[in-house]
Amino acid sequence: VTGVSRRALLGGGFAAAGAGVGALAGVGGSLAAQAAAAPPPDESIDLSQSHPFYAAAARQPQPGIQTPPQRYCVFMTFDMASTLTTDLQVLLARWSAAIAQLQAGKTVGTVEPSHGAGVGQDTGEALDLGPASLTVTVGLGPGIFDERFGLAKHRPAHLAAIPALPSDNLEASLTGGDLSLQACADDPQVAYHAIRDLARMARGTATVKWTVLGFGRASAGKNQSTPRNLMGFKDGTRNITEASDFEKFVWLKKDAGWMAGGTYQVVRKIQINIEIWDADVVSDQQRVFGRDKVEGAPLSGGTEFTTPDFHAAAHGSPKIDPTSHIALAAHENNGGVKILRRPYNYTDGLNQFGQLDAGLFFAAYMNDPEHFTRIQTRLGASDRLNEYISHIGSGVFAVPPAPRSGSYVAESLFA
Amino acid sequence: MPFANPQSSRAKRLLALSGVAAAAALVLAGCSTSSPGGATASKSGVRTVDVTLTGGGSDSCTVSTTSVPAGPVTFTVKNESSTGISEVELLQDQTILGEKENLAPGLAAASFTVTLGGGKYQVYCPGAAKELVDFTVTGKAAAASNSSAATLLRQGATQYATYVDDQVSTMVETTKALQSAVDKGDLAGAKTAYAKARPYYERIESDVDGFIKPGFSATDNAGNLDYLIDMRASNLDPKVGWHGYHAVERDLFQGGAITASTKKLAAELTSNVEELQKRVKTLSYKPEDLANGAASLLEEVQTEKVTGEEEAYSHIDLVDLAANVEGAEEAFAYMRPGLVKLDPSITKQIAKQFALTDALLDTYRSDSALGGYISYDAATKTADANTISQQVQALQDPLSQLAAKVATA
Repeated sequence: VTGVSRRALLGGGFAAAGAGVGALAGVGGSLAAQAAAAPPPDESIDLSQSHPFYAAAARQPQPGIQTPPQRYCVFMTFDMASTLTTDLQVLLARWSAAIAQLQAGKTVGTVEPSHGAGVGQDTGEALDLGPASLTVTVGLGPGIFDERFGLAKHRPAHLAAIPALPSDNLEASLTGGDLSLQACADDPQVAYHAIRDLARMARGTATVKWTVLGFGRASAGKNQSTPRNLMGFKDGTRNITEASDFEKFVWLKKDAGWMAGGTYQVVRKIQINIEIWDADVVSDQQRVFGRDKVEGAPLSGGTEFTTPDFHAAAHGSPKIDPTSHIALAAHENNGGVKILRRPYNYTDGLNQFGQLDAGLFFAAYMNDPEHFTRIQTRLGASDRLNEYISHIGSGVFAVPPAPRSGSYVAESLFA
Repeated sequence: MPFANPQSSRAKRLLALSGVAAAAALVLAGCSTSSPGGATASKSGVRTVDVTLTGGGSDSCTVSTTSVPAGPVTFTVKNESSTGISEVELLQDQTILGEKENLAPGLAAASFTVTLGGGKYQVYCPGAAKELVDFTVTGKAAAASNSSAATLLRQGATQYATYVDDQVSTMVETTKALQSAVDKGDLAGAKTAYAKARPYYERIESDVDGFIKPGFSATDNAGNLDYLIDMRASNLDPKVGWHGYHAVERDLFQGGAITASTKKLAAELTSNVEELQKRVKTLSYKPEDLANGAASLLEEVQTEKVTGEEEAYSHIDLVDLAANVEGAEEAFAYMRPGLVKLDPSITKQIAKQFALTDALLDTYRSDSALGGYISYDAATKTADANTISQQVQALQDPLSQLAAKVATA
């Protein structure tokens, strides 16, 4: 309730200010109208909500991509320890069935085995917590299609390691992986339990490589309000939300063969130099992003969802700095290319220098990882934000379509 | 949650087990044959039994018929939706007659064929709410088998006691050698003797903790032999002070000098190890003690050795770690003749993981290094701790299932 009244208050304030300035009256008026017509969406959390894992039809994507971003997310990558193709097959089959149960709020097996000396099949910490909108998304790294498993002929057309990009500061221990799991839920313990029990199933077949625990969503789905990253700015205002954009930029089409209905996942662990950012004056922070901080409006004017005008100038210089984050990332300036961003804020506590160790776990989905590479090449080279961030982890994975009931992720690889 | 009441399930299982013990032991004619595909063999004379696994939080195992006439029988196992059950076995007298593992929903049905004589059997689905399904074969019984898994396990446990005694007696010798080098003030000799003495305790650690000297209460560390022999700096009881191997280690490797106090510590260590030897001679072991002991040695690896906490001054953690693994492997070897009858596939799996672990540890061997393994310093730890830990975990997971198996044999 406080959120609603505060927004209403802000809207009214803008409207009044707009009315006072003739040229902006229209803008202010439309904001007031928008605020009145579209009340903030209901984002209260219902922990009994669940998403099905199995597809109802062929070529449907896995959950956890178009799914409205849940509040928390745990991401983990694995390297195959076994080189047996059947071990990989059994792991994907066991994971798939387990994920279907976890997403329904069930355990992956008994917590108390009937024999007292037995080991539980499920670790039990998510009992009674509800499904909490859990989704687990399975990805296959480039390594799955190398010489080890005889699957090279099935390699998805665009799956290859992300090339070295400007400003990369990647740590080997936070990079790559043969498999990825993204578990997002509205209860962090539900997400963690899923990763933990799936990692347990993998033991002996795959070893854990790196993980990130995202504590707050930093992207919005359709009908969600735009959340903020740890820099205090709204993140993902211009993100993909419309079905037509998903078709155009995210999902793979029939020509992708067994990957049709799937997509590619690119992940980056982006550390933020929190203390330095916090000491930066707000006007500079706004220049870095190209937006104002509270409303999130582009510096070319308007409100959060006003299309930025990269040509707008005042006193001979552009209102939105050409090296601002939004200018470099905008599809208008990247050959029309868009990617679906689904990031989460993370923290790893304190670093060795006693500074806050935190940042953005950037997860994105697209029908060709080259689209990420294209955008990040520009960002890495000249983004004003680079002074405050560092890309320390990276990975690329093919995300096959969701399996039908009775099947499992990537079954067609083993046919 | 829809879980079966564990107490009632256990009671059922015990009943079922006693029923089998009474049944005549049978031998397999022609052993089991497995076919990987989903097709159900229906040659004339071969009976087929479908085993279906379903999940949904409480896993169950359904058998299409619970009685067939004697002769060849094909069991076709299909995992419809169970995440908790990944293997199915046909048991008689706690011996596995046929099995299928790596069952997962979505995979093709798998089958195995066995020739069965008349008698009582069970379909065993570990992880199911009801793990054992009684299965009857009517008709003529086959000839009796020789030694049962249980007998072999008991024999192994008895022989294992000799192994423990041998380790303790060498521990006494090598600890005396350490004391003698310390008494001579020979620092280099004492360091070498220290590294030589360490593995003997580490190989059998899980069998020998918990001894209390006469006249002490169980909560008083001053009488706790494990405390007096093997306590590390991280777990000191300030009231009792520091004694044992690691107190000597600190003097030799951190202090770099042998003092009167070092000599006192070494002498006291010898007498405590001798006291331990007397106690160990009275011990006897059940098969599950070997299984639990092996698992807890690997726990030691994960909690004390991989962290570098055990040998904080000498950095010979890899010597101790290899000794823990070796001790677990010995216990496994004594169980193996019985285990292989009980569950050939997990026996094979554990043997494979031991081989992988041994091969990994071999890469750290160095003839010139103290104790025969490279120093577990900060650099080694950063580079290799993760690899070692994950390999040991891959071994520990199947190994931790053994206690339940051997306890009911």
